[in-house]
Amino acid sequence: MSRFQPTSRSFVALVVSLFAIGLWQVGEGMWIYAKAGLAQLLLRRAWSRTLEGEAAVKPWPWADTWPVARLTVPARRIDLIVLNGAYGRSLAFGPGYLESSALPGSTGTTILTGHRDTHFAFLELIQTGERFMLQSRGGRTRSYRVIDRRVIDSRTGRIRLNREQPSLVLVTCYPFRVPIPGGPLRWIVTAEAEDHA
Amino acid sequence: MNRHSIVNQRLFARRTARILCATLVTTFFSWAGGLPVLLACGEEPLHSESSIGLNDVTEGSLLFKTNEAGRYIPAPILKTDVQISVTGTIARTKLHQEFVNPSLKKDDWAEGIYVFPLPETAAVDHLRMKVGERTIEGQIKERAEAKKVYDQAKQEGKRASLVEQGRPNVFTTSVANIAPGDRVTVEIEYQETVRYDQGTYSFRFPMVVGPRYIPGTPVVMEDQPRAYGWSLDTDRVADASRITPPVQHPDHGPINPVTLTIDLAAGFPLGKVESPYHDILVIAEPDGRRHITLRADHVPANRDFALLWQPAPGKAPVATVFTEQQGDGFYAFLMLSPPALSDQQATSQPREAIFVIDTSGSMAGTSIEQAKAALLLALTRLGTQDRFNIIQFNSITKMLFSQPMPVDTGTLRKAVHYVEQLKANGGTEILPALKMALMGQAPSTHLRQVIFLTDGQVGNEDELFGVIRDQLRASRLFTIGIGSAPNSHFMRKAAEFGRGTFTHIGSTSEVKAQMDSIFRKLERPVLTNLVVEGLDETAETFPAKVPDLYDGEPVVVALMSKTLPARLTIRGSIGASPWTTVIALKDDPSRDGLSVNWARRKIDSIMNQQEFGQDESSTRQAVLDVALAHHLVSKYTSLVVVDREPIRPTDRSLITHAMKVNLPEGQDYQAIFGLPRTATSGQLQIFFGLTLLVLTGLLWAYRTRVA
Repeated sequence: MSRFQPTSRSFVALVVSLFAIGLWQVGEGMWIYAKAGLAQLLLRRAWSRTLEGEAAVKPWPWADTWPVARLTVPARRIDLIVLNGAYGRSLAFGPGYLESSALPGSTGTTILTGHRDTHFAFLELIQTGERFMLQSRGGRTRSYRVIDRRVIDSRTGRIRLNREQPSLVLVTCYPFRVPIPGGPLRWIVTAEAEDHA
Repeated sequence: MNRHSIVNQRLFARRTARILCATLVTTFFSWAGGLPVLLACGEEPLHSESSIGLNDVTEGSLLFKTNEAGRYIPAPILKTDVQISVTGTIARTKLHQEFVNPSLKKDDWAEGIYVFPLPETAAVDHLRMKVGERTIEGQIKERAEAKKVYDQAKQEGKRASLVEQGRPNVFTTSVANIAPGDRVTVEIEYQETVRYDQGTYSFRFPMVVGPRYIPGTPVVMEDQPRAYGWSLDTDRVADASRITPPVQHPDHGPINPVTLTIDLAAGFPLGKVESPYHDILVIAEPDGRRHITLRADHVPANRDFALLWQPAPGKAPVATVFTEQQGDGFYAFLMLSPPALSDQQATSQPREAIFVIDTSGSMAGTSIEQAKAALLLALTRLGTQDRFNIIQFNSITKMLFSQPMPVDTGTLRKAVHYVEQLKANGGTEILPALKMALMGQAPSTHLRQVIFLTDGQVGNEDELFGVIRDQLRASRLFTIGIGSAPNSHFMRKAAEFGRGTFTHIGSTSEVKAQMDSIFRKLERPVLTNLVVEGLDETAETFPAKVPDLYDGEPVVVALMSKTLPARLTIRGSIGASPWTTVIALKDDPSRDGLSVNWARRKIDSIMNQQEFGQDESSTRQAVLDVALAHHLVSKYTSLVVVDREPIRPTDRSLITHAMKVNLPEGQDYQAIFGLPRTATSGQLQIFFGLTLLVLTGLLWAYRTRVA
């Protein structure tokens, strides 16, 4: 054989380092999912304190966000605490409320964004007519019915902001189940409040 | 199979214990299922429809819906003519906005509301309304009163127009009662200070209010109180509807044509004159002035117009004073320009550079990469005579060395290594970092410069400004804004209090150019510790403390005094040696607009004090005094003009149109909404990792067999 013997030290070193990198990558990747799950548990506690009237409860001392709403889809057993601010950082822990949109539960369009492969993965299967529940900080729960789902190109598309009607727009990346992050397409699910005439 | 994987993914949130194994299964399934989609995703979106439920877009660009169902009338058409005259460093602009009501139907009375941008330093001081041959001069009034006058005239059927300021750089013109087929021209005059940087003078005429100007986007309604005590946010969002004009859909072609002419009297022999975004024609006049027009007849108002010009090369630092007598006061404009140093003859005063880098969570992603690239570049520009240190902060503050170290191979290597390892994580505790950075004292031979790299996402701005003001001493604070949307208000003000400058780096590709330009400046202080002598106690200057003069950027001071001395003495130091110059004042011919310039600076400074906790009512009164005296539009004052006779019969209804604006060139909707990416790299990493593990297994099996 050539100088690169399968039994040589360098070969062993290669195998070991490949193994290490492999473990590291798997670990990092799984950590993303673990964070997404674990953070929601911590957020539950912060949410119940929020409902008791505390403002801007930080779920952990160094957090730069706090829970603002609770989104549930009873039929799909989805139960998520929504965080303030749609930043890349906070999205790792839960769906984010876009601060420039209407407050959850208020009159107007509320926009929530979430990762397509963790918290908002369920959006792929959502059908028109399904029901979302959104609990706002005041404790009031409003129910929304899905009226529209579509793909838009984030470079040209825009989200209509309704001022008179309470509505909910959920945004996540599209297509689902593609391992490579990024890409311009977004999946937009629009729901309208049921109790608003 | 796909359904299987999704069900698994859904479970993560609730069943943490099962996360790990579920992930492995999911990843494999989704990789297999997702691959074909991945190949297809480079193509057009499945639904090519680009907007959701935007009824107004499908209705055609010039048609607007009225309150009556099914009735449409054409919106007014807007044309803009711009005449700019530049004298020295002051640019005065006359802006004509012509509103035409194109409808021929008798009942279609229109009101046009147009939101438009002006330069941040613009001071609007005149408003005229032209109806046919007549010109009516506008009045300056308190904002609410002006609005009342306008509304009343509108009700009575009189032609009227109103100019209000939404933000320092966003204004609104309203024109009421435009008769069918009629035209009303609104003439606005404003002035601004020309920018000077790296030997080039420039100004910018913004043409469109980009959605990016709005720090809250148009959702929260006025009757929705913002929670969490973000009172600043409440103010911001409350007027969002007034500064967010409707946007013309790109498919319907550009609107709002603009014509533009410039009279450029630079006051020195001119070198190059150019416009980076528009084709222009430059004609030289016999007296050295330049007459400049657009090469095209008109252009759509969809991108800013900029003009750059350079003087012929000079040798020594130049101090110039322009004066104007207005009422019972004298106004002066003092400008110190650095000499055009070439790279070789750089003065090299030793510096003590303290770099502070924000590694908080909000910096995660490209921001921290930009900051690191900028910092590494900065390190390479240090010389052996310099000293330096690095402070990083998130929830906690850490210092690289316990005290500033001289620059040598060892310390530099350590620093580079340190910077490369920085990661964005945790909260933003800026105060201890700032205090730590300002704490030290450099040897008297060294100039102490604190270079602060951050996105400035902080809430306690007032406290920070206070610390900078009180603890600055001999240090100078330079702020470098990182990312696409840094809190530039905070950073600009911080640099002002810190007697330094603010630079914004918007993208990774800008890092090198911007850092080069700021460091070329920092490395070459021309004059430090500047003081103006000869003024009596009635004199008021802005900024109150004269900043240092660096290579590549002039120092400009606006000054007002009851009496003006025959001469001013300016003292400073070049390196360690003193420098003095004396300027005779009385000989200069009077210039227009200096009082307006001073008043605008004064208002800025009063608004600034409010951030130190001065209460709103006294701020308001102080601004009113200045603005009313100088005819200036401000947050509290508006210009209004009303025609004498009513023209609209009061039984005819008036329809209000918000004038559409173009989408700024090159701006996309992703940026408007600023939504983050909503996919993680989790699957990719796990797949990559597993592939490596499998490869390892195969290699090991191969080795065992060979052995």
